[in-house]
Amino acid sequence: MNQATLPNPGQHFSFTTHSKNIPGNLAIWAAILSEMSEFAVMFIVYFIARVHNPELFFEGPTRLNTLAGTANTLIMLSSSFFVVRSVMAVRDDQLKAATRWLWGAVACGILYLIIKYLEYRWNAAQGLETETNIFYGVYYYVTFNHFLHVGWGTAGLVWVIYRINSGFYTKTEHEGLVNMALYWHMIDLAWITIFPLLYVIR
Amino acid sequence: MMTKQAEIKLIDTLWIVLICLTLFSAWMAERAEPGFISIVIMAAVLAIKGRIIVDHFMELKHANKFIRTLMRAYFYVIPALIIIVYLYPDQIARWTSLS
Repeated sequence: MNQATLPNPGQHFSFTTHSKNIPGNLAIWAAILSEMSEFAVMFIVYFIARVHNPELFFEGPTRLNTLAGTANTLIMLSSSFFVVRSVMAVRDDQLKAATRWLWGAVACGILYLIIKYLEYRWNAAQGLETETNIFYGVYYYVTFNHFLHVGWGTAGLVWVIYRINSGFYTKTEHEGLVNMALYWHMIDLAWITIFPLLYVIR
Repeated sequence: MMTKQAEIKLIDTLWIVLICLTLFSAWMAERAEPGFISIVIMAAVLAIKGRIIVDHFMELKHANKFIRTLMRAYFYVIPALIIIVYLYPDQIARWTSLS
């Protein structure tokens, strides 16, 4: 890395405590970039399926539950916000506050999973299944994959709460928390891309 | 250098911006006429949301240039693809056909 990318010495806000100015550590970025690539493949599948089936992709979003999709977008964005505030609280040595923010994010994760489950049930009641047509095939393929990420991501958030409560993290040493925060933001980024593709764009 | 209060205020504001952009997208999904203009707006909303999360939530704005560039690029490429796929569906369908 060249000199220009090094942190500004007086800078207060940063995840970065290491020489290469990388938030968290390299391992989590390898994971995040792999996951982003995996989602990119799904988005390419979506685009290709779309150009081959324009009518199905024009009609498809109109039969999905926009309210459920919107609610889950608001929930994912809010959970990401809570995670940011948690990291800020740890840096400020407010560990109790940090765990409260994280519990907020966990609640969002659980709420997301419940809404998604109800949405799938609602779809089934409308006769929308994986085999209904290729639009819904892509929809289930992408959203169920994302659903799994939210599931294990939420478990990861509970794990970092345990780590905070067990005294593993301090104001200056909390790389694990930052890694989890970054991974959670990646899950959020995937969802904010999925939402317009499947629910909005026609 | 930002004070702690200013950082919190910025993050809180960005969260509200993200919420408003999402509500706007939902409104578009329900009400707006499908067409080129709404596609461009949706692509722009995605680009803005992605950039806010990458720059401020992941704190890449002043971090490692390589990672920042890759993450920012994602939210240029996907919105661009949304527009390109809308404009040239037949051509892309031909390029992606096996026969």
